[in-house]
Amino acid sequence: MTEPTAKKKPAPRKAATRKRAPAAKKATAARKPARKTPSVKPVSVLIVGAGFAGLGMAIRLKQAGINDFVILERGNAVGGTWRDNQYPGAACDIPSNLYSYSFAPNPDWSRSFSGSQEILGYIHHLVAEFDLEKHIRFEQNVAELSFDDKTGVWTATTDKKAVFAGRAAVMAQGPLSNCSFPAITGIDDFQGHKIHSARWDHDYDFSGKRVAVIGTGASGIQIIPELVKTAAHVKVFQRTPGWVLPRPDFATPAWNKALFRKLPASQQAMRNLLYWTHESMALAVIWNSPLTRIAERVARLHLRRQVKDRWLRRQLTPDFTIGCKRVLVSNDYYPALQKDNAKLITWPIARISEKGVRTVEGIEHQVDCIVFATGFDVSHSGTPFPVKGRGGRVLGDEWQGGAQAYKSINVSGYPNLFMTFGPNSGPGHNSALVYMESQLDYAVKGIKKILQDNLKMLDVKEDVQRRHNKEMQKRLARTNWNSGCKSWYLTEDGFNATMYPGFATQYAAQMAEFEERDYETV
Amino acid sequence: MASIDLDKMLTKIKSTQWALSDIDWDAPGAELITDEQWPKLKEFMADLMWIEHVGARAFAALAKKAPDDTLRQIYTYFHAEEQRHANAEMALMKRWGMLEGDEIPEPNINLRIVIEWLDRFADEMPLYVLGTVVPMLEIALDGALCTFLLDTVKDPICHQAFERINDDESRHLGVGFTVMEMQGRGKTFIGATKMLAPLMDPRLILGIASYAPLLNKMRDNVIAMGLPEEKLYKAMKKFERIGGRTEDGRRNPWFQIIKYHGRFVTNRSQKVYHVPVDGLVKLTNMVPRRALPAVPSWVKELTWQPTATH
Repeated sequence: MTEPTAKKKPAPRKAATRKRAPAAKKATAARKPARKTPSVKPVSVLIVGAGFAGLGMAIRLKQAGINDFVILERGNAVGGTWRDNQYPGAACDIPSNLYSYSFAPNPDWSRSFSGSQEILGYIHHLVAEFDLEKHIRFEQNVAELSFDDKTGVWTATTDKKAVFAGRAAVMAQGPLSNCSFPAITGIDDFQGHKIHSARWDHDYDFSGKRVAVIGTGASGIQIIPELVKTAAHVKVFQRTPGWVLPRPDFATPAWNKALFRKLPASQQAMRNLLYWTHESMALAVIWNSPLTRIAERVARLHLRRQVKDRWLRRQLTPDFTIGCKRVLVSNDYYPALQKDNAKLITWPIARISEKGVRTVEGIEHQVDCIVFATGFDVSHSGTPFPVKGRGGRVLGDEWQGGAQAYKSINVSGYPNLFMTFGPNSGPGHNSALVYMESQLDYAVKGIKKILQDNLKMLDVKEDVQRRHNKEMQKRLARTNWNSGCKSWYLTEDGFNATMYPGFATQYAAQMAEFEERDYETV
Repeated sequence: MASIDLDKMLTKIKSTQWALSDIDWDAPGAELITDEQWPKLKEFMADLMWIEHVGARAFAALAKKAPDDTLRQIYTYFHAEEQRHANAEMALMKRWGMLEGDEIPEPNINLRIVIEWLDRFADEMPLYVLGTVVPMLEIALDGALCTFLLDTVKDPICHQAFERINDDESRHLGVGFTVMEMQGRGKTFIGATKMLAPLMDPRLILGIASYAPLLNKMRDNVIAMGLPEEKLYKAMKKFERIGGRTEDGRRNPWFQIIKYHGRFVTNRSQKVYHVPVDGLVKLTNMVPRRALPAVPSWVKELTWQPTATH
């Protein structure tokens, strides 16, 4: 429950672009010598991605006294998912006081659930406050990451053939960073305008337009209420309805901000309260318990209160256990669907035609624009770019049957490599950043070990990793995610390489100890 | 007809979709409807279109009860396909000048009652109840009525539309009979007896009370249209023949119930059945339409227009 969701129009893009210019120049400078000399001097840490994870990693490294690192960012600005997801209505569905780093609190959140612009503003603030800009190499899209057994150095080659090297590497490219149009028959035939939610076209004017929205997940339910305000007509194509809980969203009163500023402990107390409230949600969302029924009851009451028509309610009622797919939160989605200029269509899509969307009941719904709120390309069984470990082994090949790692962060055979949001680290009930902090601190411990002991290799033992995953899958089998629905958490074969089967507190406990005996060191 | 691979069937369903706009509803041929045919055909088409729509709603209920994702998807498609048939039949009615403006034909009172029952209780029924009744309705009413229609109507567009509709229906029946067999597979006497428990459910009793007069009413209507009664009965016998072709199918107690019910329906001398059911038809005819609640909103999804621009 950590994805996109802002209430107003995008703003911080200018700031992001403005900041990028000097760093982009540096990137070019870094590239030129790399072409001449294939072996570049390794920095201590190479970080891939300048989103929440990569920047958080950089901050924690700095705070641990490690300043010799480089962040490779494929875009021209920081922010990752929050830079890309600036569609109308984009906001986070975890309260901002919890969806932020505990080591960088922000007393000025304007709402309980902030919009994506404000979150992006916070990310920019992190860059400025911790002086990270000089470490970032923009427009460096990593094409390959490979480990040299002899030197114990990771080399990142970008698609522009620039080469960067590091003694340790952190893959912080994020699980929700890639998107593409879905494979619907005829999608290329459509003559109107196509927009993907994660690559919003801010120049397209929806006024007076007939719009189709395909997808009713986390992004879709945020976009639809905004589109209904401007478009002539919005047709919402739903495949599977999700469970929608009310969102306790409100503007933060001025006194509250003042209190947080003057008394930081009060903000920490609020964070703790939110943390434990979300932790208790695990009992409803992760495992099938009496609380699951209560959560479903709350969602049903929310639906009943907001939708009076019985058939529409039926169309919007999920037929899977709450938590099996991502839980949605919204107060304005159901009302938006019932506006005169909106219509929910639950007929399966047969194909996309030149003029619109043809559904199986035989009707062509003609529109000017199709918005694809169809989510991200989440890789369960591969890597976003080739990752070559000891002896040239390729991680993507090893993960074909489903991704596996040790404590979600290290993979045997790939020494000195750390991952944020690696296999089985996903939260279903709490802030992703809470999980992230545990990962960052664990990575810092590992990296410190490599640097302090001057290790060539810190490689998790294969049997340790195997035992860990056996335990993970055993625990996952008892969760709601594996209860039979289809979701982006699972591979086509139903293997769960995404979620962590437990409380955030359990995950933090798992990551708290860095056990040297679990690793082979050279 | 052997049991089918449902995964392959789903792929086939997805790859054989058609839309109303694939047919030229303004092509010549509408004039082939004779003046004599017209009024009866109008009533006939209205009944047929409503049966498709009722079938659609039943598939929607089945999708909720499907034991796995493949079957759930298949039923979701069938729900939409039945709606497509209703839409296409309305498009034919429009072509033949039987609909004014955006008018939707009025359902007869028995259909209206069935719609009400489906809206209230269909989702509560176990898979094996609707999963057996729906194939019977499809084979008997749809099958017999469609054949009869094509025998009497010369309009080539009608033939073109029903060629597509019948292709869909043959898949619906294939899945229907396969599911009936699945439900009977490995059933012990106790398991089979348990499947009969819903017979005590007042909601189902109400359903039977709506379904039985609908069949008799339809029989009366098609006979009035000139359809030989035997054709309808022949189609209903097909249900008995295909549904009972395997031991699994025969072991499904609901197949047995619907089979015996079919025998009652086709045996006009069976007074014990027909006298009270015909009585119910007469009784329901006396129900004032005002007494029924407003039609559910799923009914308003019907349209004869191939494209929706708003």
